Amino acid sequence: MEQEDPEKIPNWKSDFPIQSKKASHVNRREFAKFLGLLSGALALSNGGIVIKAIAFPSKPLEGEHFVCHENDVPVGKMFQFSIEGNKVVPYMLIHLENTEWRAFEQKCTHLSCAVRYIDDTKRIECPCHHGYFDADTGEVLQGPPPRPLPQLEVVNKEGKIYVKEMKS
Amino acid sequence: MSDFRTSQNEAHPNKTNTLMTGIILMLILFVTIQIWFLYGALNNALEDNFFFAVITFIGSFLFALASFWLLRYLPEPLKDKPGKKK
Repeated sequence: MEQEDPEKIPNWKSDFPIQSKKASHVNRREFAKFLGLLSGALALSNGGIVIKAIAFPSKPLEGEHFVCHENDVPVGKMFQFSIEGNKVVPYMLIHLENTEWRAFEQKCTHLSCAVRYIDDTKRIECPCHHGYFDADTGEVLQGPPPRPLPQLEVVNKEGKIYVKEMKS
Repeated sequence: MSDFRTSQNEAHPNKTNTLMTGIILMLILFVTIQIWFLYGALNNALEDNFFFAVITFIGSFLFALASFWLLRYLPEPLKDKPGKKK
């Protein structure tokens, strides 16, 4: 049997020291162990992203959704709407020209701020960090957004505007 | 009486300090790379880039294992020998 070292301070004594100075002191060994713990936690959270991606894959939008009538949105204006599925996603419909319609997700791909269409410059602006997107394609023109805006296909059926998943 | 350990410690008095600093610096490096991976995975998962999420997870897991393995080499605190006066 292993003999206890009489000189060794038991763990409970070192965990609850008498002096307050010792209680608040973090030595380098503890700091290194904390970094090890943090490293494990980061690996776990990275695993959480993988599990989430497997368990909840993003589904494409099914079917056509009615948005508004053609006359409701004049040329150069935008119309905000949302589609309810697993979660409510805000979109915006832009009337570019007489027969040109675009529908984009209204969340900036940088930090999910609500974007808006500026007709003067024909661009979509994110007011939070001045990111700009092309109103025609949704591509990033300027600023911090890393990806283009997700786009929906717009269908005009006898004056009624519908949106559906973009065919790639 | 002097043994191998005592003479080693006397020959390299800063050894514990150097080891500890080296281990902490390596741990900080590992954690920094893991944060970078996590940030990238969070950003790319939004774009349904599953492959990126898996690769960063494997990398992050390996770094976590390396961090745990490094902790084995943390030097024990120096103890005063009984009866030895400072």
